[in-house]
Amino acid sequence: MRRTIAVAALAASLAFSGAARADITVYSAGPANLIEALASGFTKSTGIKANVFQGTTGQVMGRIEAEASNPVVDVLISASWDTATDFDKRGWLVAYESPNAKTVPDAYKTRTAVAQGISALAIAWNPKSGTPKPAEWTDLAKADYKDLVVLPDPTQSGASFELVAAEQARNGWKLFEDLKANGAVIGGANAAALNPVLQGAKAAVFGGVDYLAFAAAKKGESLEVIFPASGTIVAPRPMMILNWSKQQDDARKFIDYVLSDEGQAAVAKVFLIPARTDIAAGRPLIKDIKVITIDAAAVYPKRDETLARFAKTFGH
Amino acid sequence: MRSGQQTADQQTAGPAVWFGMAGLLILVAVPIAFVILQAVFPELGRGSFARPFGQVAAVLGDPALLRLTRNTLLLGVCVVALAAIIAVPLGFLRALYAVPLAPLWDVLFLVPFMVPPYIATLGWIMTLQPRGYLAQLTSLHAGPFLFSFAGLVFVMALNLFPAIYFAVSRTAVAIGSRYADVGRVCGAGPWTAFRRITLPLATPALVASALLVFALTIEEYGTPAALGRQSGYLVLVTAIETRTADWPVDLPGAAILSLILVLLSVGAFALQLKILAGRSFETTGGKPQAFVPAPLGAMALPVLIGFTLIALLATGVPLFAILATALSRTISGGLSPGNLGFENFEALLSLESGGLRALGNSLALGLATALLTGFIGAMVAYAVVKTRFRGKAVFDALSMLPNALPGVVVAVGLILAWNRPLPLSPYNTPFILLLAYSCILLPYPIRYANAALRQINDNLEAAARVSGASSLTSLRRIVLPLIWPSLLSAMLLVFAVASRELVASVLVAPVGMMTVATFIWRQFEQGSIGLGMAMSTIALIVTLSVPLAITALTRGMGGIAR
Repeated sequence: MRRTIAVAALAASLAFSGAARADITVYSAGPANLIEALASGFTKSTGIKANVFQGTTGQVMGRIEAEASNPVVDVLISASWDTATDFDKRGWLVAYESPNAKTVPDAYKTRTAVAQGISALAIAWNPKSGTPKPAEWTDLAKADYKDLVVLPDPTQSGASFELVAAEQARNGWKLFEDLKANGAVIGGANAAALNPVLQGAKAAVFGGVDYLAFAAAKKGESLEVIFPASGTIVAPRPMMILNWSKQQDDARKFIDYVLSDEGQAAVAKVFLIPARTDIAAGRPLIKDIKVITIDAAAVYPKRDETLARFAKTFGH
Repeated sequence: MRSGQQTADQQTAGPAVWFGMAGLLILVAVPIAFVILQAVFPELGRGSFARPFGQVAAVLGDPALLRLTRNTLLLGVCVVALAAIIAVPLGFLRALYAVPLAPLWDVLFLVPFMVPPYIATLGWIMTLQPRGYLAQLTSLHAGPFLFSFAGLVFVMALNLFPAIYFAVSRTAVAIGSRYADVGRVCGAGPWTAFRRITLPLATPALVASALLVFALTIEEYGTPAALGRQSGYLVLVTAIETRTADWPVDLPGAAILSLILVLLSVGAFALQLKILAGRSFETTGGKPQAFVPAPLGAMALPVLIGFTLIALLATGVPLFAILATALSRTISGGLSPGNLGFENFEALLSLESGGLRALGNSLALGLATALLTGFIGAMVAYAVVKTRFRGKAVFDALSMLPNALPGVVVAVGLILAWNRPLPLSPYNTPFILLLAYSCILLPYPIRYANAALRQINDNLEAAARVSGASSLTSLRRIVLPLIWPSLLSAMLLVFAVASRELVASVLVAPVGMMTVATFIWRQFEQGSIGLGMAMSTIALIVTLSVPLAITALTRGMGGIAR
């Protein structure tokens, strides 16, 4: 018995010391294959190890919140720019301007945050659905799409919330009321909303993230990505260095790496728009999409109210 | 005799009570204490005790709370009712009659328990929604039914009915037909004998398993999230999840809602005690008797049809959907020969995807959890059943509490408890997952070992002590071998459930470490459903074959699930 305990204690101490050897810790929302490629590329080019925790924005934030008394994260990559604004306001971020950020548009960098890449919302439409190809958001409220439209849940997707807020600011709640009257449903987070469209249960996603749809189409799924001419929301994904980080120099090197030619090529490879405008990508770029800008300072304080009204419209 | 037994108790109590107590404190009391502290002190995460009860009024004053609680209760009651309607007749038939292919049905009904609920639900969606697999095969679909309260109850009951089926059938076998036969001899008809004798004797197992189904229903996240959201049917767990996954994160709110959930479960537990109070159900007082199940006669065909129908629904549909999706090149390609291939399995087995590492992690964690909970569970059960000490009732209740805690709350409690600047903290190591799984699953071994221990006469241990055995020796040589079959069953169940646990894994997994469930969840989130289903297939084969192999090796020592 005593020997077993001794062996267990030894094994435990080995495991604990192994965990302490991490060089930097990156928490990332967004594509898992992207953050894995970036972490291994970073280690190859700098010799610094990057430990990664990947999840949805909510899971990442829940972990940071629960860890607040003993935080371990050095670099945070969120899928929502709102995080960067909020964390900056709380004074949790370190100011840093990467030398590689020169060609990142001003809209996608601040004193304390810079975009890793950008995604846009689109109509993801299944051509095999037997419906006419939609061109505009309002098309999806037409009789052709009766019971065939799914919306990502704006409580679970920051970009969806911004699309709801932008549309509501332009035209009030009419479009969402029309969509509901036409049998549109809320379908979970982004990938969950895409699934019924792939199988054909639904014909189109109203405002799904484009990179998931591009990746699915590339794999051979019957899917088209349509950016309405009236405009859409883009979601830059901010990278931030936390002020409690004990490895701030290495954290800066990580930001530099993500914004390097190699790092941005990895971003483009998963069908996100690279943050740097001088990097090529096999998909429409910011200049090809009409972007609706929202007044974040006016929209976000009313978030709960907007979400409650949206939920009520859809009978929740 | 009385005093001799007391002496034995006092001497054997030591190690078992201490191991059990220490295990319960570390695994269960610590995370629950931090959840309660978090509910009371909203700033606890930042190490501050400011604004005590600052959040309670706001959360309890939310008008939606009443609706969430009512929805949760209604869902729990309806799922229990439907699961019982399915499981009770099947369980009694399986126990009392010679049902054709009996072992096959046991294995098939084990599958729904081993398929992670979120996967089974996704399988149902992909089968029943318009243009789903059913529509592709028959041009029929059941979308409106599936995305409704009825659909939610239907899917959850089919996932959970095995808990009642196994409890009822194993207990009914133990009761045997002796008592009913006596009734028959005294002139009762077969139906009267069943209704007045067999059914009442099976009540404890029936009530206990119904309580388990209720607890599992109200703490399940995946199915209500996938089916309930579309129909606007929200429950407490979905609200808890929203509070932990929606920035700004509201951990105090999540903790308060969790405590409401715990109260619902404790209420159900109290109801169970009330139903069973003051009655004796002892049936194993004498020597075991050979029990020959009665022939079904003309009922054989209808019974066979009933078993087949339930197996097709509960096991066939989810398995078919998982396999069909895993073997499809694209989802939009549907069930056509040209669209089938092993690409997803090849991608999974390529080293890049990390799928194999995740599988290895989950198997190792599942094994470690089974061993740890088996050991502590046996000690706790021994302390509760065979010894007397102060605070035993608290000890007993504490051992059942994790049943009512949603995984997400256990995870938050563990982070709050262990993510501190301690010299040796399990946080950010695989040990935190071991702690999480052990906390969530400890009630299974405790329950199973408890039931087995109640059947062992104290004289056996007393005899060993009189013959000069030390307390540990009698524990090791007499008690453990006698409860081993039950304990093994529980540990196999723990292994299967731990190796696919999702909700806690997502939050507490150390950086850089993946498990089967987080791998699958990640694939779903990235839109790679085929890859996720390929992983589910392999994980299912492995987690199902390990228990079956162990059962085959230890044949005659007890069933897989009871």
